Amino acid sequence: MMIAKDTFVKINKWALIVAIFAYLIGVFSPLKYLQPGLLFVFFAGFLCLLNKDYLAPKPRAAAHLWMMPVVVTIFTAVSPLTGGNGNPLLFLVTLLCGLIPCIMLVTGSSEVKMPKRPRLKIIVVRTIVQSSVFVIWASVTSYAFIKGTRPDLLFWAAFHVSTVSIFPVFFGRVLCSWVCPNATLQDGLLKNMTYKRPIKLHKAIEAQSSSCAMNISGKADARAPLFPATLLLAWFPVFFAETIFDLTQATWWPMVFIYGLMFFSILMPWRKLCTYFCFLSSYRGINCHNSLWRIRYNRSQCKQCKVCSAEKVCPFFIDIRNQDNEMPGTCCLCFSCMEACPFEGVITFKRNPAEKARLTLEAKTGIIEAKPEETKAA
Amino acid sequence: MAEIADKRYTTPLAKWSRLLEIFIPGYMFGKAWGIANEHTVDLYRVIFPSFLINIAEYMKTLVDISSPSLARFYATSAGALVGFGGIFILGLVMHFVLGDRKYIDSLRFTSITLIPLAVMHGTLTQVTNTIFESLGGGETIEMLTKAAVDSPRSQINMFCVFYMLALWMMAKRTGVSGKRRWFVLLTGVGFLVAYFAMGLGITTMEAAEILPKMMAAQGQH
Repeated sequence: MMIAKDTFVKINKWALIVAIFAYLIGVFSPLKYLQPGLLFVFFAGFLCLLNKDYLAPKPRAAAHLWMMPVVVTIFTAVSPLTGGNGNPLLFLVTLLCGLIPCIMLVTGSSEVKMPKRPRLKIIVVRTIVQSSVFVIWASVTSYAFIKGTRPDLLFWAAFHVSTVSIFPVFFGRVLCSWVCPNATLQDGLLKNMTYKRPIKLHKAIEAQSSSCAMNISGKADARAPLFPATLLLAWFPVFFAETIFDLTQATWWPMVFIYGLMFFSILMPWRKLCTYFCFLSSYRGINCHNSLWRIRYNRSQCKQCKVCSAEKVCPFFIDIRNQDNEMPGTCCLCFSCMEACPFEGVITFKRNPAEKARLTLEAKTGIIEAKPEETKAA
Repeated sequence: MAEIADKRYTTPLAKWSRLLEIFIPGYMFGKAWGIANEHTVDLYRVIFPSFLINIAEYMKTLVDISSPSLARFYATSAGALVGFGGIFILGLVMHFVLGDRKYIDSLRFTSITLIPLAVMHGTLTQVTNTIFESLGGGETIEMLTKAAVDSPRSQINMFCVFYMLALWMMAKRTGVSGKRRWFVLLTGVGFLVAYFAMGLGITTMEAAEILPKMMAAQGQH
């Protein structure tokens, strides 16, 4: 079977969708049973979709990933530890979820060409971290609902303290692309779905992503609004309600919010919820406005080819060409822009010598070189 | 160039952003002072400056509310009002130190840079609640005293460093000149010194005094 890129996406996408439904039925229905293999379906599915450009040309490599859920499902069915306890229908669904993509990919061949640029190692690491954290989150959440205890509180406590208080100061909104389960769902699955999104955002809301100081690096006007108003508003009601109604110990409270966020992500275009309405993203965004380490944008090297245009590449719709010499505080360090850029040395980990020289000259003379967008506007 | 720079930040929701940038961090900064209940208020008095807790507690006595949710709403609002008062005063000092913008923008600067301390207040509230819940958990008074002193101390130290960073970076970001930036930092240090002098943080002596009393009170309940 010839596997085009679309077919590759469809195979992984549908396996994931079926697995998500099986997960929801197993955890939230009176069945209260989760096939461990489903968690590996999530891992394989997300990893394949997050690396689709690089795995679609090699369907057999992807098939190896899909063997994991199959092996785990069979092992849990025959293992004396769990044997005979599971629901046969869920077992069958889980087995098929892993087996069908595995067979289709292992017997298939592809004419899709590998992208010219090799995948950045940091992105490979990111996608593995993303998929693994999603699996951890799904397993602790299912455990909480099946057993009626709250081990997921530990997950949320670690997640919350590190993402809100510590990481943003050093690495900005890094957790919004590396850890958040909702981000993984959006990047892996929802970005690859082409249905018509029922919620369309007002222009005034979308305008914020290019007109708040948090989205633009370099010196900001003293009167400039720093944060998007909708993000500030998203932050407030959640923590306000938590205090007023004393919900810190309520079992359903964090669940309602993460599942609520996931539900609304389905209704909106890719990552719009993260950019304008997510209370966690907001909390991190607010604490990261002065983050210390950022990706460097070497403007003097930029060829203005617009390949890195915000709507396609950046999860937070940052207009890279509008930046001064680094990414702004709102950057989530996903490195997608770095990979998208076809030229060497434009988007880098370190500032390059030419850019350093430009900045030193600007600091000495006080004459600031206009950005391409500003030159065009003038 | 200046016009272009201004246009970059013009958005239909900019006014709302500016308003919320004062209101939301201000609320988060102050609400912790009003959130104490009859069981935890003494602990709050030693962790936070006692007079701030007393003002919020006095405001809470002015209105008698039977609904617990409404009472909590009023309590956090009372704390938030005290917080806004603090921000307005610090904003005034910052306005003279910055000297390059309108008072409302100095207030935004003050409020936004106080976010690390607002987060610190949130974590201190959690620490206080955890200590209160541990009182009847069979732990010794020495262990509780150690936890009550060490945990807030490390939180306070960390967030004070983050506050200094926020002041420096925010001043740099909004074009405050090098010399003035040091004054901004000094103002921040002055504020922290004043805050510590008023009674932020809990000492071993205070903890050793308050915890047995709370433990005894809880035993009576």
